[in-house]
Amino acid sequence: MEPEVVKSEMVLPTHLSFKRIQMYEKYPKGQSRGRHWKHLKQILQAENFQSYPLDEPNYVNIESPPSIHPCKRICDITGYEAPYYDPRTKLRYASADIFKLVRSLPNEYVQRYLALRNAAVVLK
Amino acid sequence: MPFISQIHRQADYNFFPSSTPIVVDNGASYFRVGWAGETDPRVIFRNIVQRPRHKATGETVTIVGDHDPALLKYFDCTRSGPRSAFDSNVVYQFEIMEYVLDFAFDRLGANGSQIDHPILMTECVCNPVHSRSKMAELLFETYGVPSVAFGVDAAFSYKYNQQHGVCGKDGLAVCPGFTTTHVIPFIDGEPIYKGCCRTNIGGFHVTDYLKQLLSLKYPHHLNRLTWEKVEDLKMEHCYIAPNYASEARLFQKGTKEAEEKTRCWQLDWTPPPVEEPPSEEEIARKAAIKERQGQRLREMAEAKRSSRINELENELRGLEFLLQQLDQVTEDEIPSFLKETGYVSRQEIESSVTKIMQSLRKAKGEPKSEQFEVEEKTDSSTNEKYPLVNIPDNMLTPEQLKEKRRQLFLKTTSDGRQRAKQKRYEEELERERKNQLDEAKRLENPELYLEQMHVKYKEMSEKVEQRKRLKINGNHSNGNGVSGGVGRGERLNTAQRERMRLLTTAAFDRGKGEDTFGAKDEDWQLYKLMSKDNDDDDEGPDEDEAELARIVSRLQEIDPAFVPKQEVGSSQPASEIPQIRPLTKEDFQILLGVERFRCPEILFHPNLVGIDQAGLDEMAGVSIRRLPFNDDTLVERLTSSILLTGGSCLYPGMAERLEAGVRMIRPCGSPIKVVRALDPVYDAWRGASNYAATFQFPHQTFSRMDYYEKGEDWLREYKFRYTL
Repeated sequence: MEPEVVKSEMVLPTHLSFKRIQMYEKYPKGQSRGRHWKHLKQILQAENFQSYPLDEPNYVNIESPPSIHPCKRICDITGYEAPYYDPRTKLRYASADIFKLVRSLPNEYVQRYLALRNAAVVLK
Repeated sequence: MPFISQIHRQADYNFFPSSTPIVVDNGASYFRVGWAGETDPRVIFRNIVQRPRHKATGETVTIVGDHDPALLKYFDCTRSGPRSAFDSNVVYQFEIMEYVLDFAFDRLGANGSQIDHPILMTECVCNPVHSRSKMAELLFETYGVPSVAFGVDAAFSYKYNQQHGVCGKDGLAVCPGFTTTHVIPFIDGEPIYKGCCRTNIGGFHVTDYLKQLLSLKYPHHLNRLTWEKVEDLKMEHCYIAPNYASEARLFQKGTKEAEEKTRCWQLDWTPPPVEEPPSEEEIARKAAIKERQGQRLREMAEAKRSSRINELENELRGLEFLLQQLDQVTEDEIPSFLKETGYVSRQEIESSVTKIMQSLRKAKGEPKSEQFEVEEKTDSSTNEKYPLVNIPDNMLTPEQLKEKRRQLFLKTTSDGRQRAKQKRYEEELERERKNQLDEAKRLENPELYLEQMHVKYKEMSEKVEQRKRLKINGNHSNGNGVSGGVGRGERLNTAQRERMRLLTTAAFDRGKGEDTFGAKDEDWQLYKLMSKDNDDDDEGPDEDEAELARIVSRLQEIDPAFVPKQEVGSSQPASEIPQIRPLTKEDFQILLGVERFRCPEILFHPNLVGIDQAGLDEMAGVSIRRLPFNDDTLVERLTSSILLTGGSCLYPGMAERLEAGVRMIRPCGSPIKVVRALDPVYDAWRGASNYAATFQFPHQTFSRMDYYEKGEDWLREYKFRYTL
């Protein structure tokens, strides 16, 4: 290793005296790749929160409800208030000038703008 | 710098007795660790792990937190980016968590055989028991920690601020964090998780939104917009608009105020070196070089010519000598004599002599005057040349008749040639005369003449253009004729189109009624129209065009400022042609206008990024409604002590906006007070540190024995009192 890298001590040592089980013992080389950690979704599923009493707070039921206010419509490109909606690209826009821009956008960009508000077409 | 790492190894680890707890604020963005009772954490770093390959040795190494980017050049980071142990606000990847803890304890100075200190660690509200037990297991099994306690960061922050008199013992903690935002009601200094609510939006989403917007707006500077840089921009420039709609309208109208609010990030840009026009000397030098090269070429050509002339002359001399010799040789001996020379007969030699003489003349550059003379002569001696032409047919033999026909043909062709020459000559004279006339006019009144010429040019060019258009579009040119569609019809001229029409009708117009085609003679004219010979496509440049060309050349002669118009085909407006202009400073600027308040706005309207949950202000209302007791005085006490904490509440205007939002959902006249935490970022750790320093703290922890004896269900219920 280069001297400046060693000096900065940025690389974590493989053996640490204060550990009872070292990393290389716990996750031997080659096997660690297959190791899978439950994602939050899987954790929540396994937790089976439906079976718990409703009045007990848990990770799932403390989540906020959907907003009761009407959805704010802003121009996808500029962020201004958007009274208009382009049925072809599904983008919202604020004025005629921006409409021109919207129509000249390549599809990739349209999809990226839509993805910003989670409205893009997702191919599965 | 947004990411402040504080990762010096601490030297005083061994001075702390084993009863002193270690306090860990395990946030999704930052990891902070230090000793209980102190005011600041000892070690702070970004809660991320990278596992790049060391380029020189090829081994995979572990790097925790942020480091000097200059040192990262020794590592191949292409395979794996920075990874976090968090999914949303829950720790799920305990291998990464272990690396992070390794690094943290190492930097805290741990060097014994285990971590012999109690640990107080923060976790999210209502952490799933799976995550909690895995964390406890990791701490007990791997590090040998004697006892552990888990608490909520926002609660610690609230308690800390309560101790400092910032907020009351009843109140709301509003905590926009990195991945989630929580509102937790406090009653008598204890968090009521029943009334708590969480929206899955936070600083991460704000930065991501800003990054996406900027990279869509400036696709050319994509590689400059790194996560770290955008985070930096967010912290420096973003603010919460008091009213999004009116603020956006300011920008839409382009008012001066909006202009002042627009921030500009100038990327480093060096103007391209300006090309200086070549100096006089340079031009002269270049001209001299060109001249020298031309001279050399000329010399080479001259040398080649003279050598060829020489060659030809030698050959000619040889042949003449051969002819002279041939004169002295008798008739019979000629074949044997010529055998060596390669010629067969005297005539052949003579013809080759003339050929060589001709090419010699050509090489010497002499005019073919003799030929002209010959032709001239033939004029005078037509009768001698074509003796049979004027003799009546009946006086001639069949052979002579044939000869006469040949002579007649020859005569007419040569006459034709003569006439064409005459005509050319006359045209030349005419043009000369016209030019002289023009010149005289010009000399008379130059300005007027120039004007007239211009007018004439305009007229002529319009006329020619009109003709061309007609030819392309037919008579019914309708507005969009010139701009041109792309259909097949547009590519044909009128005549061709007519022909196509006839062909198609002939091909498909069948079977309707009686076929009477051919009954009238005119029907057959159709075929004449259809035939391809009918195309009068290439009629050549007509008179108008010739005249136009003459005017153009004349104008170019006398008016230096004159530029002939483009051809019809390329007469589209110039704006449609993509112009390559030199890049300027403005092309390397990233402007932040609406983005400054559009991005943090998602905290109040998560709908903007497609998260269908209540925003910050609504959450306060939801939280109050969720409380099990409906006591107006209690609610008033809650709303008059709203504490803002967490990293994402640092935007200017946050407190005002939240206050306005809460006022909207509360009855008129209710007391509302929003305060910001003393230090929204570090207060959670400080609160935890204070808490862990109290002597009752050991009773709130659980040990390894507890963990294994009481089991998971107990851990699910595990909750400690914040008020000691």
